[in-house]
Parts: sequence; structure tokens; C-alpha cells
Amino acid sequence: MTEIPSTPKTSAPAPLWRRLLPPLIAAALVAVLGAALLSPSHNATDGGPLVGKPAPQFTLTSLDGTPVSLAALKGRPVVLNFWASWCGPCREEAPLFRELSTRQSAGQGLAVVGVLFQETNEQNARDFIRDYALAYPSLRDPGIRTGINYGVAGIPETFFIDPQGVVQHVDRGGLTRERLNVGLKKIGVAGL
Amino acid sequence: MREPSAVPRLLPAAACLLLSAALALSPAQESRAERLGNNLRCPICTGVPITESTNDISREMLRDVRGQVAAGRSDREIYAYFAARYGNFVLLDPPKEGSNLLLWGAPLAALAAGGAVLWGFLHRRRPVGEAAVMPVTEDPFDPYLAEVQRHTGQERARPSGTRDGGQA
Repeated sequence: MTEIPSTPKTSAPAPLWRRLLPPLIAAALVAVLGAALLSPSHNATDGGPLVGKPAPQFTLTSLDGTPVSLAALKGRPVVLNFWASWCGPCREEAPLFRELSTRQSAGQGLAVVGVLFQETNEQNARDFIRDYALAYPSLRDPGIRTGINYGVAGIPETFFIDPQGVVQHVDRGGLTRERLNVGLKKIGVAGL
Repeated sequence: MREPSAVPRLLPAAACLLLSAALALSPAQESRAERLGNNLRCPICTGVPITESTNDISREMLRDVRGQVAAGRSDREIYAYFAARYGNFVLLDPPKEGSNLLLWGAPLAALAAGGAVLWGFLHRRRPVGEAAVMPVTEDPFDPYLAEVQRHTGQERARPSGTRDGGQA
């Protein structure tokens, strides 16, 4: 009974903005939480600090003993794939790389290069190359120097480097045809 | 002065050997490499620094750190080297600058703002509140309060310290 006369007294001076402030703060918090929850999913497989930067240089030798350097491939779009024979997703994406390797051509054309990442048994890598008939060089990376230089943590990881030598796209995990085509398009190569 | 021509020729070779082996670190450099390594996350582990993980990539990264320490690069340069490749994720204690500063500063700013609001609230309400509380305690509770005080006064024979005549 005593509260009834006191309520109009307190509600009358409260301005509109003060009554709207708590729901607005709550809505803003929900929006920030939502944005934070959704953002990790978009950088899950692609992107990275090297995108838009010059690709780190390397000169490594292939399993055949042929030296291969990135500098020598300047002027050509390059697909650089870090892999190992013990890696399951590498095996799953290998048929795509087999298909891609047939699209290579000299001069201004596409070049595909594999780099072995923590390969424990070179013979297994050779068998892998033979099984999938990969028609491109796979390079030894002693001390993972090139792997660390490219910021590779897990494999497979594929870098798409444009003819000017700039990393345009990075994709982690086993590639699908669609994801491979996204990278190829960014370096001016027609999709598979 | 016996072999002055041999020293310049051997210097680059010695430097290369030093860098590649990365073993000839002074104790100070050694502890610096350890400290840097403690702040670099093993990229394939969960929240473990490269000094605590035993896998190949951590070992190679640590060797890389030692090589850069031997080459005289600064902490900032070495952290930047790894952050440029693996992202700021690789730093277990990211630098407090840029957008990170917002992350660190926001709780402090919120605390300060809350404190200011509370201070303002308390200072505005106190004179009004005191004036309102005084008559309320005096008037409506009088019969009950008097009875309670009488009871407690009889049992304890000790006043509660109110301004009324409860000391009887």
C-alpha cells in the first residue's frame, strides 16, 4: 500500500535514454559474442600471415637429386604443397595433384612443387609418388628450414604463389576440388 | 702477425660454423634463447612452448632461435620472425600493443568507469538518503522498536545505541 504512491515518484524523472540503456548494452554484448563465436570458423582452413607477402625463397634438392629453387620459377604461377607419406589427408588429395600435374607447362605455365615435411622414410615417399604418378618434383627439407620459413605447422598445407612470387592463397588440410580451384583462380590458373 | 692473411679468410667460415652448429652460445645467450623459446608456442601442440615439447618441429624452431640469438638479433626481431610466419598465435605472451592493447585495457577501463559511476552515485544519494532514513526509523517502527528495545534492555540491560531513550 505504501509502495503505490512512491513508484510514480521514482519513474517520472528517469529519462527515455536511461531506460533504453540496459537493453542496448545487453544487445551489444550479444552481438560481440556472436561475432567472436562466428569468426574462428572463417580462418579455419585458409589465409595466414604470409598471404599477400613475397613467398620465402628456397633452394632444395628433389628426391632425384635435382636442385629446385623458387627463384628459378619466377614468372610462373606455383602451387607449393607440403606433404609426407605418413599423412592421411595428403593421400586423399594426391589424385587432385596428379590431375594438376598434367596441367603444368614450361615457359609461363603452371609449376607444381612438393616439399617433404618431416618425412621419416624416403622410400615411403618414393612409393607414394609412384602410386599416384605425381609428375612433379618433391623436395627434401632438412631441418624443416623451409617448412618453418613458410610457417607450416601441420600437413597438408598448400601455398598458391603468383607469377610475381607473392603468396596469394594458403589452404590447410586435405584439399577438395573446390578449395583447390579457389587457390588456382587467385594465381590466374584455370580450375580443374 | 704470423698469419695475418689467414684470419680474414677463416672468419666467414668460422661464423658459418657457429651459426650452423649453434652450440657456441655464451651462458647469457643460452638463457636468452631459453627465455625466447619459453614464449614461443609449439605449433602442433596445445599451449606448450617449444622448450617443453620434444617433437621435431619444436626442436628445429628452438635451433632456429639459438641461431638467431647467436647472430645477435633482438628479442623483438626474433618474435616478429616467427609471428610473420605462424601469426601472433605462436607467441604465448603476445605484445601489449595494437588491438591487444584494447584487450588488456578494456577491463581496466571498465573498472575505472564503474568506479566513477559508483562514486558519483554514492555522492549524489548520501544527503538525500540520510534525510529520508532518519524520519522513517523514528516514526513507524516506534511501537515495535520500543517493545524490542524493552525486551533486549531487560535481558541484556545494554542499549543498542540509538538516539531514543533506550537506555532505561
